[in-house]
Amino acid sequence: MAIFGVAILLILGGLYLSQVASFAITNRSIEDLISRRDQLKRQNEQLIGEIASFRTVPRLFERAVEIGFRPANNSDIDYILLEGYNPQRAAAPSELTARSEAGGAAPAYDETFSGWLERQFALLRDQFETFGK
Amino acid sequence: MPFVAIFLILMAAYLVINLANFQFFPRSVRQELEKIGSSITNTTLRVPAERGLIFDRDGEPLAFNIVQYRLGVSPALVADADSLSSQVAEILDIDEFEVYRKTISENIWEFVAGPISAEKGQALAALDEISLGLEEIPKRFYPQGTLAAHVIGIVLNEGLVGSLGVEGAYNDTLAGRVLDLSVSNVPFDLPEDRPAEQRGQDIVLTIDRDIQFWVESELKTAVDEYRAFRGTAIVMNPRNGDVLALANYPTMDPNNFLDVEDPSLLENAAVQETYEPGSIIQALTVASALERGAITPYWTYNDTGQLSVGGRDIWNRHFQSHGSTDAATILIRSLNAGAATISLQMGTEDFYSMMRAFGLGQATGVGLFAEDPGEVRIEGETNWNESYLGFNSFGQDMKATSMQLITAFAAIANDGVMRQPRIVRQVISEDGVEEARPTTVRRVLSAETAASMRDMLIRVVREGAPGAYMRGYTIAGKPGTAWISTAVGQEYGPHSSIVTFAGFFPAYDPEVVIFVKLDRPNEYYGYNVTPHVFRRIADRIVILLEIPNDEVRSRLEAAETDIVVAGS
Repeated sequence: MAIFGVAILLILGGLYLSQVASFAITNRSIEDLISRRDQLKRQNEQLIGEIASFRTVPRLFERAVEIGFRPANNSDIDYILLEGYNPQRAAAPSELTARSEAGGAAPAYDETFSGWLERQFALLRDQFETFGK
Repeated sequence: MPFVAIFLILMAAYLVINLANFQFFPRSVRQELEKIGSSITNTTLRVPAERGLIFDRDGEPLAFNIVQYRLGVSPALVADADSLSSQVAEILDIDEFEVYRKTISENIWEFVAGPISAEKGQALAALDEISLGLEEIPKRFYPQGTLAAHVIGIVLNEGLVGSLGVEGAYNDTLAGRVLDLSVSNVPFDLPEDRPAEQRGQDIVLTIDRDIQFWVESELKTAVDEYRAFRGTAIVMNPRNGDVLALANYPTMDPNNFLDVEDPSLLENAAVQETYEPGSIIQALTVASALERGAITPYWTYNDTGQLSVGGRDIWNRHFQSHGSTDAATILIRSLNAGAATISLQMGTEDFYSMMRAFGLGQATGVGLFAEDPGEVRIEGETNWNESYLGFNSFGQDMKATSMQLITAFAAIANDGVMRQPRIVRQVISEDGVEEARPTTVRRVLSAETAASMRDMLIRVVREGAPGAYMRGYTIAGKPGTAWISTAVGQEYGPHSSIVTFAGFFPAYDPEVVIFVKLDRPNEYYGYNVTPHVFRRIADRIVILLEIPNDEVRSRLEAAETDIVVAGS
């Protein structure tokens, strides 16, 4: 009976030790992976830096001149109008243009409390209007 | 034997009672005990935050982080000093004997070299030498070199504290949080990963890298050509306040700012330097008078070339008189006596209220480090006297920054509405992209007044500053000359003035406002110098921003078609 008990204890002890060892190995490998990941991230940033250095405007400009380009002048540009062709322009100034007089002029500038309050109200209204769009 | 058993039972009972007693200890005692326990099994690790990156409006990186290393050696752990010092010296290209001396030192730790590049650091790590210690040093790297240096700023203290430019103004946003992480020493505790939320937020600027490059190039050319002391140029979109380019020359390299010999080069003159703006202010004076009804576009006065205000004499350029003169001619010929006549006609209350409305005497809030608000003394303040009303009308006895002046002219260009100038377009965090919306500061002028001013400023370029003329485009603008005041009066002759030009185009639908300033050029008067610089910058911008000329624009408006651009 006593021998059986000792054997059980030995088995449990062995299992415990093997589990702990396995934990330790796995965690060590996770630590290595985290460290490797950080290292790769740093190398990646290093590469981004190098690429950015190669893409600086002076370098591109120098290279372009080397291969025969020159800076365009205003007189070099021809604008060709295509009737009926109206692609979406990148800039959509409608929401950025100045408020029209019809849309209610912004309050005249003054430094009184009511003037300040009026400006804050106009600002809030402006934000609401833009939010709605 | 029974005594031993009784002793053991009593000891066991004592332990059990104490164990139970632990559970009822006061909280503070328990916390103290836990602290002692964790100090044995945990180590506190200080994790530096990764600083947010800075990009231009098209996503080109302007500032980001790299890692450098600092190398140290534990002499007690060195097995073969000869071999180690030889390998280290070869990688780092340093004196081998110096390294050897450190590897045999009696100190516990010896610093060998630093900062070391990432490439060399990795070569050292590959040696897998237990006695060598590589410590990471975060470093800010600016891949564009001097480009937009004053806008971006610098970082001090091994990449931790931003100073100047956006790095300084948005330091809290970019810096992130330094964390003290408790790391377990127990090998079967799961290692903790660095929390993502500690990283700083990225910033996208309104700056356009290409425009910035050309503005810097043209500014440098102008400073050299006119042998000026220094210069500043700003390009802004008047519709939304976006600063597309901001350049000061001479400038500095933020990667090597410690090598700068003249500390003033670290200053962003566009927002940190104030000066008497001179006759460019006449445009604001005329606009203010039109707005307040003190004059009309058809108003005239008899110009005698001289005016006495508050006991001080004001003279026109070259002491010339022009007889019956209208407001537009005051601007074309830059008549100080005419501007002073107008400000006197307005009175102090209206004049200074409008100068404040144009933003003079207040920081613009553009989002750059240490912006100077300038100075406009008003009636009742110390040292103000009546002569100020006259001299302020043409920009003397007051101080402003270049950013304030371009913002004021942008308000005229934007139909009288002043937009908040801004340098930051987006802030990017883990939670998403926060877009900075264009903000209206106030309406300074009515649309009618702004239109009258635009027409006058077009005439100013045609008749008074032909150097700014650009084929195919209508330009509106005003050159300015400011004398430099000294303790005994003012300086005269070449290299003794500050010359400026502020202009916008296409005048009838402005997309760009450009401000140019040169300090102490070899020509005294601004109209001989700055309009040319403006035109050279504008010449590049119409191509980069694809701004069609007036003819094409009018045909587009008529036909409601769009355009394609082709090179001839």
